[in-house]
Amino acid sequence: MMSLPMSRILSIGVTLAMLVAVGAVFLYAPTEKQMGDVQRIFYFHVSAALSAATAYFLVFLGSVQYLRTRADRWDRFARVSAELGIAFSAFVLFSGPLWARPIWGVFWRWEPRLTSMLITFTIYVAYLMVRSYGEPGERTQRFAAVVGIVAFVNVPLVHYSINMWAADQQLHPPKVELDPAMLQTKLICYFTFACLFTLLLRLRLQQERQAARLEALSRLAPQ
Amino acid sequence: MSAVPSTWAHSRILLRKDLVAEWRTKERLSPMVFFVLLVLLVFNFGFELGGAALWEIGPGVLWTSFVFASLFGLQRTFAAEGANDCLDGLLAAPVERGALYLAKMLGNVLFLLGVEVLTLPLFGLFFNLTPGLYLLPLFVVFLLGSASVASIGTLFAAMAGHSRLREFLLPLLVLPMLIPALISCVAATGVILEGGIPGRGTELWPADLTVHVAMLGLFAVVFTTLAWMLFDFVIEE
Repeated sequence: MMSLPMSRILSIGVTLAMLVAVGAVFLYAPTEKQMGDVQRIFYFHVSAALSAATAYFLVFLGSVQYLRTRADRWDRFARVSAELGIAFSAFVLFSGPLWARPIWGVFWRWEPRLTSMLITFTIYVAYLMVRSYGEPGERTQRFAAVVGIVAFVNVPLVHYSINMWAADQQLHPPKVELDPAMLQTKLICYFTFACLFTLLLRLRLQQERQAARLEALSRLAPQ
Repeated sequence: MSAVPSTWAHSRILLRKDLVAEWRTKERLSPMVFFVLLVLLVFNFGFELGGAALWEIGPGVLWTSFVFASLFGLQRTFAAEGANDCLDGLLAAPVERGALYLAKMLGNVLFLLGVEVLTLPLFGLFFNLTPGLYLLPLFVVFLLGSASVASIGTLFAAMAGHSRLREFLLPLLVLPMLIPALISCVAATGVILEGGIPGRGTELWPADLTVHVAMLGLFAVVFTTLAWMLFDFVIEE
């Protein structure tokens, strides 16, 4: 119960930060010369991609820690991180095509970064399937941890091999000098998404902890 | 100090057991070869293959058939140990888990290699592949490709039996994880098959091949090592 006010403070903070971020994206940041308004998707798109990458690292961390300590909380941590990773990846895979349609002329190209993101997304969906279709218990947690580690080691290989496969398809804008206002907007969005990620992680962990506690209690109760 | 030779010795004994069982029952190799034949037939009706198209989609057809066939083979990795609680017997024996993984993984490599070598002539026959020495590097790709599939496939096969999804789980895990290896297999095979285009230089090892083969080797080594380390956790009970 102690942590509830903290979550509320964080919720209010994220709401305010999100308002500031939306304001910065639409009102403060200048319109990009070549792409026009559609470039504004970039601020959320890249922020979400960073959050997804963080989440996948946390799955790895949770998995290693679970195998070392066998503590349920690390297992919950890995699982919740995977869910968030998938959610943020889905946002990236959704916002990417929205931007691509006016810029590339099509919603989807088998372009390296887009393809890597999609493959990584499918790997972590498979990870969640190991969890959801396994018998609840210690064995499934162990299996999931093993998959979580193999999956994370695979991410750079996926990235590298797809870069090789579709080198001529590279269509992501190269590194560009950003206007100071654009840079500030980008940083505000990174920060906002980091806060949102932390909040969601906290809330889901709390929920899972309570579910586990309830489950333990119901096992104690007389049938 | 003597851990390394004894692991290897145990693996060899376990591998021999599996090979003898396969020799007597032919439960894996025959159905896999037949399956590849069927997939090649289906592809034949799906695409106009042969001629110029062969260099374009031939490698994809070949590796799609191999990967799907391998999924069936991988399912059987631990299935035979289920009868009479053989797996419990193996785990009770003073054998390292790593040795069990190595034996099963090497067994899978041999089965996959067998399927690939036996079905390549069929592929060549159906799609008019010009025979020649230029096909020799294909066996390096087959070996490393099989090792890549077997490295993660053997690890995940040990999990699949315990899921409610049963045999459905293995493809869901193996297919996305295998993509880096699959890309290299298809690219390398493409480079090799292009050697069959009339008038092409007849070098035995085209320069473009090295990068793909190196990538495959990297995949196989990384995931065999990782799976070997993690296998203890999969098969703990």
